Amino acid sequence: MKNIKGALVPFSALKYLGKKPHTVRYPFEKKKTAERYRGFHFNEIEVCIGCGTCSTICQNEAIDMIKIEGVEPGRGDSGLRPRIDNGRCCWCGLCVDMCPTGSLSLTDQYLHTSPDPDSYLLIPGVDNPEMKENISFTKSDTEPLLQFDRVPMRELDGAERVKSFAEVVLGYMQEEARAEATRCVDCGLCVTACPDHMHIPEYIGAIAEADDAKALKYIYDNNPLPEMCGKVCTRQCETVCAIGHLGEPIAIRWLKRYATEQFPDPAAILNPKIAEPNGKKVGIVGGGPAGLSAGYYLALRGFDVNIYEALPRMGGMTFAGIPKYRFPLDSLDKQIDYMKKVGVKMHNNVRVGKDITFDKIRNDNDAVFIGIGFHVPYTLGLTGEDLENSIQAIDFLRRVNIGETVDVGKKVVVIGGGNVAIDAARVSRRLGAEVTILYRRRVEDMPADWEEIEGAEDEGVHIVPQGIPLEIIGENGKVKSIKYGMAEMVPDDKGGRPRPKLIEGDEHILEVDTVIGAIGQEADYSFLPKEIMDELKIERGRVVVNELKQTSIPDIFAGGDNVNRTMDAISAIADGVRAVEGISHYLLDE
Amino acid sequence: MSAILQEKETTLYLGPQHPGITGNMMIELKVTGDTIRKATTHVGYLHRGFEKLMEERLWMQCFPIVCRICVPEPDPNEENLARAIEELEGREVPERAKYIRVMMLELSRMATYLLWMGGQSGSAGLYTMPQWTVGDRDYIIDLFEELTGGRVYHMYIWPGGVRRDLPEGFEGRVRKVLDYLEQRLTDYDRLLFENAIFLRRAQGVGILDKDMAMEWGVVGPPLRGCGIAHDVRKDEPYEVYDQLDWEVITHEGSDVYSRAMVRRKEFEQSISIVRQVLDKMPSGPVHNPGPNPLKWRVPAGEAYVKTESARGEFGYYVVSDGSLKPRRVHVRGPAYVHGVSLLERMLVGANIADTSFIMNSLGTCPPEIER
Amino acid sequence: MSDTLQKEEQIKASINAAFRSAKVSIQRKGRIIVEFRGGILPAFASYLKEYLNFKHLSMISGVDWPEDNQFELVYHLWSYEQSIHVMVKVRLDREAAKTKTLTPLWEHAETYEREIHEMLGVEFEGHPNMRDFILEDWDDLPPMRRDFMTREYVDEVYEWRKGREDAQDVRQTIAEQYNTEVPNFNNEDK
Ligand SMILES: Cc1cc2nc3c(=O)[nH]c(=O)nc-3n(C[C@H](O)[C@H](O)[C@H](O)COP(=O)(O)OP(=O)(O)OC[C@H]3O[C@@H](n4cnc5c(N)ncnc54)[C@H](O)[C@@H]3O)c2cc1C
Ligand code: SF4
Ligand code: SF4
Repeated sequence: MKNIKGALVPFSALKYLGKKPHTVRYPFEKKKTAERYRGFHFNEIEVCIGCGTCSTICQNEAIDMIKIEGVEPGRGDSGLRPRIDNGRCCWCGLCVDMCPTGSLSLTDQYLHTSPDPDSYLLIPGVDNPEMKENISFTKSDTEPLLQFDRVPMRELDGAERVKSFAEVVLGYMQEEARAEATRCVDCGLCVTACPDHMHIPEYIGAIAEADDAKALKYIYDNNPLPEMCGKVCTRQCETVCAIGHLGEPIAIRWLKRYATEQFPDPAAILNPKIAEPNGKKVGIVGGGPAGLSAGYYLALRGFDVNIYEALPRMGGMTFAGIPKYRFPLDSLDKQIDYMKKVGVKMHNNVRVGKDITFDKIRNDNDAVFIGIGFHVPYTLGLTGEDLENSIQAIDFLRRVNIGETVDVGKKVVVIGGGNVAIDAARVSRRLGAEVTILYRRRVEDMPADWEEIEGAEDEGVHIVPQGIPLEIIGENGKVKSIKYGMAEMVPDDKGGRPRPKLIEGDEHILEVDTVIGAIGQEADYSFLPKEIMDELKIERGRVVVNELKQTSIPDIFAGGDNVNRTMDAISAIADGVRAVEGISHYLLDE
Repeated sequence: MSAILQEKETTLYLGPQHPGITGNMMIELKVTGDTIRKATTHVGYLHRGFEKLMEERLWMQCFPIVCRICVPEPDPNEENLARAIEELEGREVPERAKYIRVMMLELSRMATYLLWMGGQSGSAGLYTMPQWTVGDRDYIIDLFEELTGGRVYHMYIWPGGVRRDLPEGFEGRVRKVLDYLEQRLTDYDRLLFENAIFLRRAQGVGILDKDMAMEWGVVGPPLRGCGIAHDVRKDEPYEVYDQLDWEVITHEGSDVYSRAMVRRKEFEQSISIVRQVLDKMPSGPVHNPGPNPLKWRVPAGEAYVKTESARGEFGYYVVSDGSLKPRRVHVRGPAYVHGVSLLERMLVGANIADTSFIMNSLGTCPPEIER
Repeated sequence: MSDTLQKEEQIKASINAAFRSAKVSIQRKGRIIVEFRGGILPAFASYLKEYLNFKHLSMISGVDWPEDNQFELVYHLWSYEQSIHVMVKVRLDREAAKTKTLTPLWEHAETYEREIHEMLGVEFEGHPNMRDFILEDWDDLPPMRRDFMTREYVDEVYEWRKGREDAQDVRQTIAEQYNTEVPNFNNEDK
């Protein structure tokens, strides 16, 4: 052989004969995997919400969402949990990166062989609780796949706002709405929290697809006042949004608002199919969201519907209570006009019990719906409450909304911590007053929406937490000042939330022109004749109804604030929608 | 006796499994004696229809698919698809991510060359080398595992950057592996590149002359093994290759040996490139996030992007119609060009025993041919 | 259009001058798209190869556009000298898709054309070796056509594993929990 070197050098390999190999060990030792290893799944069952995003993203279709014993569906939880088919999984870990709660992870465990195909089906977290110790590949905070930040909403600046009743929130532009809608993972968990169970993922999906008309159809399928909800809804849905677990929830309310604002006349898009008249008549007492919703869908189904409303306009508290900078009149009118087109007959300035008797309405109709809301304010129970300029928030707001001139003077104190209190405070600011809110507990305990509280503060409303009003002091029959004491928070003996307890001697006096009470309201049933009152089951001020909003008197249905405890527009709408089922069922045996 | 054999043509079926190949492919050989008269390739053993599947997947869902197009070398696939999408979207990639991508691509080149060294020597009947190189490749695979969580399929390079930043102390561990591999080169040289058996088998075998190489669309080490200096990293630099110091490596000879030497030198060069990357890598974010993958629409348009994989130009032609799913993802793998018609041509006149040997020198990879 | 696109502009001008039926656009630096409508493709390809130095055929892609009732073939050519990639696009009638082979210009066009023939059903006149490529004895619709439904094919040909039938749809489960129905406005006329 000519190439002597080339023939000899390979023998240098002999030097490795005694060396320990890198890869395989005898006897077998399981390799310790790297910290990020992507092995079998583990799922924190309590943290998982059953949104199914993992299942949707898995391109191998390795994940099934299944019912699991011991996991109950509920608000914000579908009750389902993922099960992995390890015969299909490729351990890409996309499911982990997409899991909006971070409950899903991959472990450093990777060995499994069995002739039994069923053994490859793994319910992570249920079948392998011990692997919690082996979690290795987890969701990254710094390289997210989901978008956790909301597209910011443009608003008028605080200083600008107090100058008028112009709408504060400006609404999304088309591009903004698309971007926000794109964040949604379509799980539908929001639907569990919406009192009306609106078709949320569907309309958000349509907005993301740039099909606003389709979005509107989904929206109107079970909510005839969506523009109102788009502006003022309490949005329970957003509290359970899957994205909200690690980020900011999808701006569901603003997206609904966006979709409705795109079309000046919903009729043109919806083209509603109105059923032939079915010969049945329904009378509705109260033109708030509950009454209107019932009226709209009843009319679509061919009922002859008449709504009687005491106030000069329809809308109930959303007209008389909610200030115009949150819900402008033309937006309300647009929605009411559309309902009229569908054939709902509306009678303003008709107070049942005064302008027309309840019995007449009941006799003229085959069924009656009561949606009168809560319009009688609770009093504070303080000395000096009957002084001039000691007023009630809902009366005050109603007068402002109807267009009366109300003089609150230069200094106003509002008592209460709910949305009504905040509304009264912000309206007073717009009337030019300096405003203080007196609230018994801490700011974080305020039942008002945090955005509303922030909005009030931006506008210069001063909040005094843990302040308990003691007495309204007058001069010449008019309010002059208010005395209040400071409180400390003490644990509740019964295990409830901490209670405020007056601190002896820590009392203050605030000079004011007007005191506005905003501590709640109740219903006025005085329009109902005695026989009805005797028969109608009312508990703690609320009419008792069944699933389909039927009262203890079969032809009388009820809904809204005077029925439900959630006391917001969407609950009233939901009640109205359910009552339509109830009334149809009752009158048409459907 | 030999006279009789020479006259009688016989058909041999080589494969679908045989040494020196990553995957399954069958070659039908018409031989007289031990000389090949005609070769016909038969592929179809590994067709997974990935391109079709991608048309029915969300953009993000294509990533677990594309890495599987080439088993020994998944990373160029991820990088290509990511870059094509970034081009369509106009999405910026953070600098640090680009450096990390180059590190991945070069480590992947080295891992692939180690596997190839094993295959090339295995197909020449030298069986110690595969034990060594496959074992040494494991050090790189360990790095991949540490960085990405996966050993073979990384799912690491994705649109907007890379999936995770380097773990604590990773850089040091990469350097350690580089140092080790550099010193191992001496062993490889002794065992393979200077081995008399290898030289006898490789020199003057599997000749692919310059003109033919150009005409037939040959790329990568086989092209550079004809002394032609083309390399995508230089021809159309991507990521940060233009900020690194390196030269295109060529070798005259046009045979199996010269192709081997190109890879041998490029292996060494990759060590240097990775070191430069580690030296220069800036700090900062590694991912520029995009829209929610479930509703992610890539703007309508088309893009052709390419990388220099260990086997040559790897290209992706991606067409978007603006919807949630790709309209078309067409993958150009080097083996597709080298391993079918060219191979059929080159085998004519070769010795049966050289079939796998030549095949390997061209970097034939059936999973990439069929996708 | 700064001087950075000078080479691209030059090529565009040359093509425009020589072939009227070619619509040339510069996609970006190093990328030119030519929509070649009518005329003889081999002649044009040969012009690109011999006169403009696009020697390297990277690949041939086939894209289905059923909405236009057309297939699009995309010839990817690269010029090493100028570092420019040109994509020549040819549209073919989907019902009678036929074109001339480019194997006389590039030997390896053979494989690409074989695959497109098999996967889309395009005929390449003059192709020397049009035998089965990946699919053996395939008599269904060419599978890369958009109207070949993978899911249907799979349901027909393969069996799904047992034991996963209890899978639930999350959205549907939620709707049922509240006795609601999700309407479908997807295919409604506006
Ligand atoms: C200041 C304020 C702010 C609010 N802000 C919000 C908010 O931001 N978001 C939200 O979701 N909810 C808000 N709410 C609550 C929401 O307005 C109510 O929950 C909702 O309007 C209730 O609807 P309803 O149909 O049950 O009753 P109402 O809206 O109260 O409507 C009842 C209607 O019945 C009429 N009526 C009563 N008795 C008679 C009679 N005898 N004859 C004829 N008509 C009669 C009333 O005049 C009234 O118009 C707010 C409420 C107030 C007071
Ligand atoms: S790791 Fe990938 S393949 Fe496996 S279940 Fe998750 S998404 Fe599916
Ligand atoms: S994505 Fe996460 S939270 Fe949602 S179902 Fe899967 S594991 Fe549970």
